[in-house]
Amino acid sequence: MNTGPVPVLQPARKPTGGVAPLGKRSWLEERLGLAALEQAILGGQMPGGASLWHALGSVAAGLFVLEAVTGIFLSLYYAPSVQTAWASVAFIQDQLPLGWFVRGLHSFGSSALIVVVGLHLLQVLLFGAYRKPRELNWIIGLALFGVSTLFALSGYLLPWDQKGYWAKLVEATITGSAPVVGGAAQQVVQGGTAFGNLTVTHAFAAHALALPAVFVALVVLHIYLYRKHGPTPKWWLSPEQIAARTVPAWPYQSVRDAGAGLFVVLVVVCQVAARHGAALESPADPTSSYLARPEWYALPLFQLRMYFEGPLEIVATMVIPGLCTALLMALPFLDRAPSNRPVDRKPVMIAAGLAVVVVGALSAIALGKDAHDPLYAKARAAEEARAREARRLALKGIPAEGGLAVFRNDPLNHARAIWDERCSGCHALAGTGGDKGPDFKGYDSRAWIRGFLENPEGPLYMGTAKIEKGMIAVPGTPEELDALTEMVYVETGAPDADPAKAARGRSLVDQKDCDSCHELDGEGENAGPNLKGRGTLAWTEAVIADAGRGRLFGEKNKMPKFAGKLTPAEIEDLARFVIAQKNGP
Amino acid sequence: MSVEPTDTRRRFLALVTKGLGAIAGAIAVIPGLGLLAAPLRKTTVRGAGQPLRVAVDHDVKPEKPIRVTAVGEQEDAWLRLDHVTVGSCWLVRATEGAPIRAFSTVCPHLGCGIDFDEKSTKFNCPCHASTFDLSGRCLSGPAPRGLDELDVSADGHDVLVRYQRFRTGIAKKEPIG
Repeated sequence: MNTGPVPVLQPARKPTGGVAPLGKRSWLEERLGLAALEQAILGGQMPGGASLWHALGSVAAGLFVLEAVTGIFLSLYYAPSVQTAWASVAFIQDQLPLGWFVRGLHSFGSSALIVVVGLHLLQVLLFGAYRKPRELNWIIGLALFGVSTLFALSGYLLPWDQKGYWAKLVEATITGSAPVVGGAAQQVVQGGTAFGNLTVTHAFAAHALALPAVFVALVVLHIYLYRKHGPTPKWWLSPEQIAARTVPAWPYQSVRDAGAGLFVVLVVVCQVAARHGAALESPADPTSSYLARPEWYALPLFQLRMYFEGPLEIVATMVIPGLCTALLMALPFLDRAPSNRPVDRKPVMIAAGLAVVVVGALSAIALGKDAHDPLYAKARAAEEARAREARRLALKGIPAEGGLAVFRNDPLNHARAIWDERCSGCHALAGTGGDKGPDFKGYDSRAWIRGFLENPEGPLYMGTAKIEKGMIAVPGTPEELDALTEMVYVETGAPDADPAKAARGRSLVDQKDCDSCHELDGEGENAGPNLKGRGTLAWTEAVIADAGRGRLFGEKNKMPKFAGKLTPAEIEDLARFVIAQKNGP
Repeated sequence: MSVEPTDTRRRFLALVTKGLGAIAGAIAVIPGLGLLAAPLRKTTVRGAGQPLRVAVDHDVKPEKPIRVTAVGEQEDAWLRLDHVTVGSCWLVRATEGAPIRAFSTVCPHLGCGIDFDEKSTKFNCPCHASTFDLSGRCLSGPAPRGLDELDVSADGHDVLVRYQRFRTGIAKKEPIG
């Protein structure tokens, strides 16, 4: 409608002599006012000079950006529900190219963020930077520290693994123990009356949407107030020195910020590379008795709780942390010292020092106790084995029930079905099954091998197969038989085999005439099976596939071929099942 | 102190700052872009690719196409489903005793679900009005090719279809995954 010329609000620029075509930069400048923005962002001064002391805040901000970027990429693959959380994280960790790396950056980056924010807080305490007129920015800083810990707490529930589940359950219960509002607060935090799908969606919404929004708003306010009041200079400088050494923040402080930031990121990258990303434990199992430990930053509180039993528990979980927070918030108003110099602020310095020592000591006690606890070590080893197994099974795809249902992929369950159908007609397991081949009870354990050497034609062994000119009993002293048993046992790849004893066994091969029927090189054919690698997965698979091969049972074999009747994957499962009999049913 | 060295130093430090920042940024962003690009290199949804029983032979009458669903195994990212609808197709028999043919219900134009109009005995797409005859040939509309035919095996009683998806919007029939 309005086709007339647009009124120009600003006076047109005066041509500054000659032809001065408007470049791209000035075209944008006219419209966006970028110079003012640049000045607002980079234009600060560093009274008393730039320093690494003053880099901590920027490094924390940089780490937050790292968390945001990696978090967004992870959210492309994460699915928040009880059925999908563990499954999708296992997918990220073990199937997505570089997924483990991005998840590792996100996880170790969050630990680094908490460390850097903690150091930043201590630096502010040391420099007296919380004092007038910066009281409110101190409180905002404390709030940012609080939000950082909420990020961590909500974040490590998300994989819905044992660690996340149980740590969060303890926290939710602590929330529930608060007087008056506890029960209601717990229900809100966990998204319902019990742990379930809504717990995951609530944690995810907090972690990925609400907390970032709050954090960014607080950071903007924090930086705005920082720029308004400027950095607190080093206390040991005189006003003249401060004035003389003042430099622009860009680039003198910025280069330190960037250098320190990159250093921390590289430390994180090294951690990620060294540990192949963050841990992922087995899927959360509410029926298990998991030895729950919090993340490292919550260990002091975990240990503190140990000293308060029964009704006093709330002292450790709420009263002491609450009082500490209140004291920190009130600090700028309580501190009436005449200057920023630490000597003038002895009570603050002593209290802060003491707090650092106590937090450190509590963590050390908690770690030390676990390090010397054989029960803890055993529980850890069991969980690690379970996690490895769950993640291996997850590669085959996880059933729709998710998480724990991954154990249904266990080939042993699958193999048992094949065994019942295909093998049990001839072979028994502990007496039940057919009687045309060996019983597989305790197969390839030391006792089984020893029994076989002593009486190969026994009813549990080859006697059932009725092989002509089969294996004959090995004569020898108990020591010799033990050594020969170990020689056979070591070939199965058993981790607890004794190599010295096995070597002793090999020295007896010639004397006992084993080598007239058995080769030991893995290739040669003879009347009996080649003993090299006997009982390993590959060997067992080969026997199931075709036991009549020359280096196996050759012409004496009576077992049917299963290659072609079973798929290679089924043969592998079955072989694992057979090997698993070593440790009993 | 003269102005020039300070200015050079400033410019140098500014460059260093940007360099360090760029390295830190690249560490976060480049692997992340790898995640973004991962679906380009990885099949994320995979059907069994085996013939699935969809109907019994005598249910398919001449000139009366029926719409059936193929139920089978599917892998979807981390998930493995044993019994899920992997897709649906139209079974068509031209004349009594003629072999049964199967056409995917996915329109080769932009992927809408193909319907059958009994009055005109034509297949049609409800979204953009392409029409197809009983042999799957495109008669009118924007579809770039005829209906996608699926492999059928019939043993006289059961009808088995090997369900597949094809890229839409192009003239060539190109299987996905």
